[in-house]
Amino acid sequence: MTQPPPTTSPTRPGISVPDLLVALALTALGIALLLGSFQIPFGINAVVGPRVFPLIISVGLTALGLLLTISVLRGGRAEPAAEEDTDMEAPVNLAAPGIILGGFLLGAAVLTTAGFVIGTAIMYFSVAWAFGERRIGLMAGVALAVALVTYEAFTRGLGLNLPPGFLKGII
Amino acid sequence: MDSLTSLMSGFETALTPLNLLWALIGVTLGTLVGVLPGIGPALTVALLLPVTAKLPPVSAFIMFAGIYYGGMFGGSTTSILLNTPGESASIITALEGNKMARKGRAAAALATAAIGSFIAGTIGTLLLTFAAPAIADIAVQITPSAKFALIMLAFVTISATFGGSPLRGLLSLFLGLGIGLVGTDLQSGQARFAMGRPELLDGIDFITVVIGLFAIGETLYVASRLRKGKFNVIKLEGGAVMSKEDWRRSWGPWLRGTALGFPFGAIPAGGAEIPTFLSYTLEKRLSKHPEEFGNGAIEGVAGPEAANNASAAGVLVPLLTLGLPTSATAAILLAAFQQYGLQPGPLLFITNGDLVWGLIASLYIGNVMLLALNLPLAPVWARLLLIPRPFLYAGILVFSTVGVYSLNNSVFDLGLLALFGVIGYGMRRFDFPVTPAIIGVVLGPTAEAQFRTALQQSNGDFSIFVRQPFTAFLMLCALAALVVPQILKFRAARRAA
Repeated sequence: MTQPPPTTSPTRPGISVPDLLVALALTALGIALLLGSFQIPFGINAVVGPRVFPLIISVGLTALGLLLTISVLRGGRAEPAAEEDTDMEAPVNLAAPGIILGGFLLGAAVLTTAGFVIGTAIMYFSVAWAFGERRIGLMAGVALAVALVTYEAFTRGLGLNLPPGFLKGII
Repeated sequence: MDSLTSLMSGFETALTPLNLLWALIGVTLGTLVGVLPGIGPALTVALLLPVTAKLPPVSAFIMFAGIYYGGMFGGSTTSILLNTPGESASIITALEGNKMARKGRAAAALATAAIGSFIAGTIGTLLLTFAAPAIADIAVQITPSAKFALIMLAFVTISATFGGSPLRGLLSLFLGLGIGLVGTDLQSGQARFAMGRPELLDGIDFITVVIGLFAIGETLYVASRLRKGKFNVIKLEGGAVMSKEDWRRSWGPWLRGTALGFPFGAIPAGGAEIPTFLSYTLEKRLSKHPEEFGNGAIEGVAGPEAANNASAAGVLVPLLTLGLPTSATAAILLAAFQQYGLQPGPLLFITNGDLVWGLIASLYIGNVMLLALNLPLAPVWARLLLIPRPFLYAGILVFSTVGVYSLNNSVFDLGLLALFGVIGYGMRRFDFPVTPAIIGVVLGPTAEAQFRTALQQSNGDFSIFVRQPFTAFLMLCALAALVVPQILKFRAARRAA
């Protein structure tokens, strides 16, 4: 998904492969929903069963997905959104979101065993790293502090149940 | 005057010390998240929903209302001092206000934005006070088929009529509708699209969808294209103040912006973007020195900011009287009502008058608080813009995790959160608006319920949607909202060719 800077015209000839994949994925999702709709029983004693609305939506999604596919095949492509902290001229760095996602899933996977504090500290650390921070000691300290304060505030202050993990009894 | 007596009793509710405290917490939080990039009022209310479950509904909604209005005030600070609009409705403020700030007039730009927001918010709330009960009186008689048609109209205007690409808006809407289908069908008890997962039988919580699409999606997307180097935040010394000359030039735009913004918010027309643009164009045309526009004209900040805030008040009219959200934040508020077992709509004014009027009264109070918070404290809020981004976004992610995990104490939900985060990234990368998806998730189940009730009443006769005059009229409006802009675009393109 290396994308040229958005200064180029959207009507430039040539088919954008990422755009095409997105359009096809949406169409496929529509078809999957359609097949899933047929799995829903008609329902008894109902004029309109639980199947009708899903059918309408899946047909609509499939049709819209096909329309998008056609528009992409004719050279249409999407302009990436501009956000507060983004630089649209900068080269796209896909490693950073990958690190965030990996850190998040790792933190979620160990959340119940290692506990909330460790799990969310891993998430915090990976986001800070992905955003270019490299002072490891500072990051680890802030990550643990934020996780611990959040844990204490939510469990003691608001009475929520968060998993303590192996720190049980200590925090 | 019925509205006045109700409003007075609303003030009695809102002016208790505890509720005043909740209002203060709300407006402070709202300003905070409005200033901070990466997090906005919609996301904040969604994050707070699980933890406010134990509050009395009135207090929770007073706080949410504060967040809703506060987010608007805070957003303008970011636009003016950082030149990066957080939402499309602030584009104009960023354009004109940042030019003013660069000329050393940051204080005046912030002041006209805050005072304009206050005036527009107060007038908007006044209009809401008197319009809402009147509309609710009429809305009681709306049939299920008309209600369905009304939702169709909202779907079309929000996703297709005013967006950049109607096709992408509609795809986003249908994605949201599809997500809303997952889970057990309440009328028949049948599981739909649960894929055999017991976690999905209860449906996908909209909070997970909202936080995934907004917070996680935004974090992933910003990380992929992070702005490098130092932030160009304009320094601000002292509070936000303006001169006599500024006042003279601002009051007209404030009032005209309010007049434009409120109706656009009140009809289901999808957001504050259009009235801010209209207000800007109008002020430029009326100005004696149009050459200043684009170089920091105070009218170009005053008008659009007022329009933005007035439309925020207008959005509450269809939300409270019809249960029809027309912006992402309104959709979250609707879901919040449903979480408390309340259904916004005409009956809410009768069954939960205390709550509704307490909420409306708190809007007046919140506006005053926001003015007091934003004028002298502007430099404090400005300093928030200097928070290092690695720590800011990491914190947003951790709070998102707590919010979603505490819904069901389930790691499965965190997996869903990651999935919606990736979808949210894709939506930003491929230019799909997020709001239609949120509206689809929240309003989809209501749309289906009205659709089925209407058909049950007509014994399965689909002509019910065209036979009743009012329903047919709304359906026609929805069709026109879908087709007319396309025809206009097509004709404009042909003329240009």
